Amino acid sequence: MTDQRKLPQILYIEDSDEARSLVRRLLSLKYVVLEAADPLDGLQLAEETHPSLILLDDDLPHMTGNEAATRLRKMLPDTPIVILSAGISNGARERALAAGAVGFISKPIDDMFEEQVDAYLNGKVEKLENAEEYLRAYQQELVERLEDNIRQLSSTVEKNKHLLQQNQRMFSMLERRHKLLETAARVGQMVTSILDINDLLKYTVNIICSEFNFYYSGIFLMSDDEKWAVLRAGYAAAGRKMVAENYRLHVDEKSMIGNSIIKQQAQIALDVAGKESRFKNPFLSDTRSEMALPLIVNSHAVGALTVQSNELNAFTEEDITSLQAMADQIAIAINNAQLMSKLEVATAELVRTKTFEAIATATGEAIHWVGNKAAPIPGSIKRVREDLIYLFALAAQLNASGVENESITAAVQTVREEADAQGIDLKKVFAEMSAMKPNRLQALVSVESLMEDLNIAENSAVTILGIKEDLIGPARQRSLAAVSLSEMIAGTVANMGLPDHVVEMEWADDMPDALVDARQVEQVFNNLIKNSWEALSQTPAPKIFVKGRCDNNPDFVLVTVKDNGPGIPKEIQEKIWVSFFTTKGGSGGTGLGLSSVMQIVNQHGGSISLESEVGKGALFSVRLPIAK
Amino acid sequence: MTTVLLVDDEKLVLRSLEKTLLRAGYDVITALDCKSGSEAFAQNMDKIEIAVLDLNMPSFDGTPKTGAGLDLLMDLKKQKSSVPVIILTAYDEVTKAKDAVAGGASAFFVKGREQGLVELIRRLLWVA
Repeated sequence: MTDQRKLPQILYIEDSDEARSLVRRLLSLKYVVLEAADPLDGLQLAEETHPSLILLDDDLPHMTGNEAATRLRKMLPDTPIVILSAGISNGARERALAAGAVGFISKPIDDMFEEQVDAYLNGKVEKLENAEEYLRAYQQELVERLEDNIRQLSSTVEKNKHLLQQNQRMFSMLERRHKLLETAARVGQMVTSILDINDLLKYTVNIICSEFNFYYSGIFLMSDDEKWAVLRAGYAAAGRKMVAENYRLHVDEKSMIGNSIIKQQAQIALDVAGKESRFKNPFLSDTRSEMALPLIVNSHAVGALTVQSNELNAFTEEDITSLQAMADQIAIAINNAQLMSKLEVATAELVRTKTFEAIATATGEAIHWVGNKAAPIPGSIKRVREDLIYLFALAAQLNASGVENESITAAVQTVREEADAQGIDLKKVFAEMSAMKPNRLQALVSVESLMEDLNIAENSAVTILGIKEDLIGPARQRSLAAVSLSEMIAGTVANMGLPDHVVEMEWADDMPDALVDARQVEQVFNNLIKNSWEALSQTPAPKIFVKGRCDNNPDFVLVTVKDNGPGIPKEIQEKIWVSFFTTKGGSGGTGLGLSSVMQIVNQHGGSISLESEVGKGALFSVRLPIAK
Repeated sequence: MTTVLLVDDEKLVLRSLEKTLLRAGYDVITALDCKSGSEAFAQNMDKIEIAVLDLNMPSFDGTPKTGAGLDLLMDLKKQKSSVPVIILTAYDEVTKAKDAVAGGASAFFVKGREQGLVELIRRLLWVA
């Protein structure tokens, strides 16, 4: 077997795969064939391997075969170089030899090829007649090639420069577009996040200026009468100053802002010197380009956005489209903020109205209640006074009937004198009494009646004063503790002395303790059960169901008090919570029961609600926080 | 002796007025709500010469009702149209009481000075 390492090495530089494969087949038995498809690779390979012979195609990429031959010749002066050429042009052989090749083989190669290669390997050198002439021609060719290359190179450099510029423009356009989109998105986000209109407007003008490098931006909103566009936010010091000075423009065609609002169209001035419609603004003297974009919601202009630049032609078509898209979003945001502030005003008004109503109702109910409770007092006292006068008249008679006790005599004397001083004519009264029929007189000096009237006056006064306790009760200092509501309510019910079997209780096994002030919450259930019982006065089989369980909200325990009484009419369901409102009339309610119940429950962080229909009883639901 | 029907659900008010009327020389029949008031009137129709009704008290179905006295007023007028009726009212309900007069009551009386009621009854009965 042949030792490959001892065979001579032939380097074949050729860009055609088929040609290389053919040569390889023909030569590989006798030689090691090194191959390169590119002359630059070929040069490198030649330098590394120092082959015995180099075969060169004359038509190669990047450089001609002749050029490659010249360079190889310089690099490896002793290595024979043979050009393989399709050889169509005149003098190809000569030029190859002039370039430094020792031989020239015409393609296509034939059965002589191996012999030719052997010959060149063995030192054959073809002679060139008129070598000087061909050398010059070859040098001329080289110079032309070089010039051509330089032309190509500089044209490529030009092209690259242009491409680079174009790329830069594209890049900055993309960047700007990205920024526009990002900014628009940020403005979009504000629609949901900023509902305070002043914050929204300030934020928007700041974004527009900082993100797009415009030197000024401002937002005008329409005045209520829609005659003025009022500057509500402006960028930087100039903007703030203009807002502070209440800068505003007539909504007419004299200003770009006015025009944009009237026409609902963007107004753009790329060179403001040429625009008469621009309202000359002493605060913004550097403005060279300016646009006014209407803020439109539901085809109605709510104001306008102005964007100004200190450069001429500052706005691209893209800027205008993006800023208009952004203006649309700002308009929606402004509209939302305006709706929100209107809603807040309306809510505040509603709360005020409701509060006044509640106060008026409570005050009215209070006056009504106190009036009712106090009504019997003057009548009773008047009767007591009458009764006493009759009794004094009787007493004044004591001395006349011969009482011999000194103290009594003195007392009777005092009665006479003091009655006299009060202008009461006891003698005259006595005379009247003497003229009366016995039963009439008995009625007037009835101790029972006198005591009853005193009781009436006393009870009325006590009831009125008793309200103090109900008013102050909920305000007392609370001391919270874990309380088992089932035990507490069972105890409350037991102490109320209701007939047997009226109250039925049902407690869930897993009902947690409540974190409450035991005394106040006992009052709550005492009031609710008492109310139910009083509502049941006309009900044949009165029942009160008290049930307790964990509320659907796991932080609360729910206790319901339900009765099978007449129910509470819809129209007074709201009123029952109001202080002094009472349906009980003569049964002596203060009208503070449910209002203090509600107050106590609320103060515990709980809630109380009522469900009732006339004829179907009433259900009170109390939610109180659990003890954790 | 003149008999007065007096209906009011405030027991103390009722008793105090009753005593005042008794002292003034009237016989008094009392009731605490519309239903018993109507029944008392039906039973004593011939005797009762005038009715004094509270404006707000339990209605015929037993539930408290604003203006229930007007229901009883209509009921009494149905039973005996000639009976004069006085509506008792708190001073903050005068408008309602005036409506009552327009609706057939002879007069309204603001609770407070009970002697005034006596004078009012006297005047009404003298006119009648």
